[in-house]
Amino acid sequence: MKWFWLVAALLAALLAGIGLGPAAVPISELWQSPIVRDLRLPRALLGLLVGGSLGIAGASLQSLVRNPLADPFLLGLSGGAGLGAVLAIALHWGGPWAIPLAAFAGALGALGLVFRLGLVGGAELDPRILLLGGVAVGAFCGAVMTAIVSLAEASELRNAYLWLWGGLSGASWDTLRVIALCLPVPVTALLASARPLDLLVLGEEPARHLGADVRAVKRRVYLAASFLTAVSVAVAGVIGFVGLIVPHLGRALVGGRHLRLLPASFLAGGTLLVLADTLARTVVAPRELPVGIVTALVGVPLFAVLLRRWTAY
Amino acid sequence: MRQRAHRTHLAGRLVALLGVACHGAAPRSGTVGALVLRDDAGRVVRLAAPARRVVSLAPSITELLFAIGAGDQIVGRTIYCQYPPAALQVPPVGDGLNPSVEAIVARHPDLVLLYRSSHTDAAARQLEGLGIPTLVVRHDRLADIARTGRLLGRATGRDSGGEAVGRAMDSLLARPLSPVHARIAYVVWDSPPIVIGGGSFLDELARLAGADNVFHDITTPSATVSIETIVARDPDWIAVVRDSAGNEPPAWARRPEWRAVRAVREGRFLVLPGDLFGQPSPRAGVAVTALRDRLSNTTHPTSQSP
Repeated sequence: MKWFWLVAALLAALLAGIGLGPAAVPISELWQSPIVRDLRLPRALLGLLVGGSLGIAGASLQSLVRNPLADPFLLGLSGGAGLGAVLAIALHWGGPWAIPLAAFAGALGALGLVFRLGLVGGAELDPRILLLGGVAVGAFCGAVMTAIVSLAEASELRNAYLWLWGGLSGASWDTLRVIALCLPVPVTALLASARPLDLLVLGEEPARHLGADVRAVKRRVYLAASFLTAVSVAVAGVIGFVGLIVPHLGRALVGGRHLRLLPASFLAGGTLLVLADTLARTVVAPRELPVGIVTALVGVPLFAVLLRRWTAY
Repeated sequence: MRQRAHRTHLAGRLVALLGVACHGAAPRSGTVGALVLRDDAGRVVRLAAPARRVVSLAPSITELLFAIGAGDQIVGRTIYCQYPPAALQVPPVGDGLNPSVEAIVARHPDLVLLYRSSHTDAAARQLEGLGIPTLVVRHDRLADIARTGRLLGRATGRDSGGEAVGRAMDSLLARPLSPVHARIAYVVWDSPPIVIGGGSFLDELARLAGADNVFHDITTPSATVSIETIVARDPDWIAVVRDSAGNEPPAWARRPEWRAVRAVREGRFLVLPGDLFGQPSPRAGVAVTALRDRLSNTTHPTSQSP
């Protein structure tokens, strides 16, 4: 029954995303309108895939570092992506895809650096080292980025920050094709790690005694979740709160077993982002709100209700 | 909206105060030739004499000073002040947004001109504390150039230069060119798409050139919109302001989601030079003529369809 509602909510959000927008499209023309075909439909589907990626990445990272505050962007990826984007603008890298590609490269660079730091001295992705390394790498990238923005004379650099705040305005069938190619492997890797993640939540020692290959699982989960986040940031910038809040919503709905939690987080993340983007495009039309603001405005009250319910027990 | 009302109110008070300054305040202060000015932060500033050593902390202020004939009184500028070319001879004192008080004081100015923002208010207070008079101005619209031109004319003893700029702007604003039925969208950034609204001087330049900004109804200077909104407003032209030379369309024009916009598909771009269109300038008349020329000469734009 819970799954029925999760899927129904997602379908309702997708329908709203396709049916509603700042331009008036009569319902009878919905399927022929180029606005729907070329703009709304790819944008709603991109919202589903990006929100889903952030949801599932957040859920697995929270279990990996055993910290309910973990967010996919906590591990330095937003800093790396931002640095890549700012470099692309400052160095006038041409071409319509320069900024997303540079952001992706930057995010991958940060990912590799944090991963390497997480292995230093046999630390084996110790959660504390991973979190500290992520925050440090993020802060360092952020500092370099700010230095470039304040020293370079290009006025368009100020807009690099806007790009970073995130949004789905870059949605097209091409973007969708790229992200659809990137998702299956890491999502499958995470789903395949569901059982060992259940064990890992108990602690590394117990997990080892119960037969999990802790070392391999941690590496696989870290790399898969971070790769999903890097893909998301390249196509949609840094969209906050989805990866932090959705896993907790998922736990409240279907419990902590990862074989249920991970798919539920994907569905709920997609629903939240499609819904938030629809609101962002319509409530202040013809203007548009940054979608990260709406995810926070919608997600945080939901989160507060949940917290109340937990503490009521 | 509130900001504009505030500005009009200020302008009114400024006019009233200029009257007071001319007829009443100067004799009361007891100093012959003393100037009493009110700036856009609402502060009353007293100068013993017209300023001879001026530091300008905004490119638009520097350009305006040259336009009123006070160029040789500038002893400091920002690194962004590139126009007119003579401005490059003046030593730079920083980037203007985060002024280095130390570098400014080292130029021994008798007046510092700041563009009003949250950063500059603190710097203005610091400079006042060191006994250096400051004027905080905010000119975002073409009418502001007229007002600021007259204010700076009085502050630097170039009253007639300031008055000439003021009168030129007034007459430009009073006589828009005949309509050409061209509907423009200024796109200043592509992701997220940011357009120029009715609160910007670029909107005024379009109107004066006889064209319409399709986002005139948005009252702020700029706003984030959906590509879908641009498709629905269906502009004839996409105007982009660019510092670098060249007439080619921006790189984002090749992104698939932007092909939904008719003007993008048809390659109807107006690439406008940043030195003329990047800031509200006393050369607004030149900008209007340039925009009008582009609109009437390019009746058959080259098609960029794939």
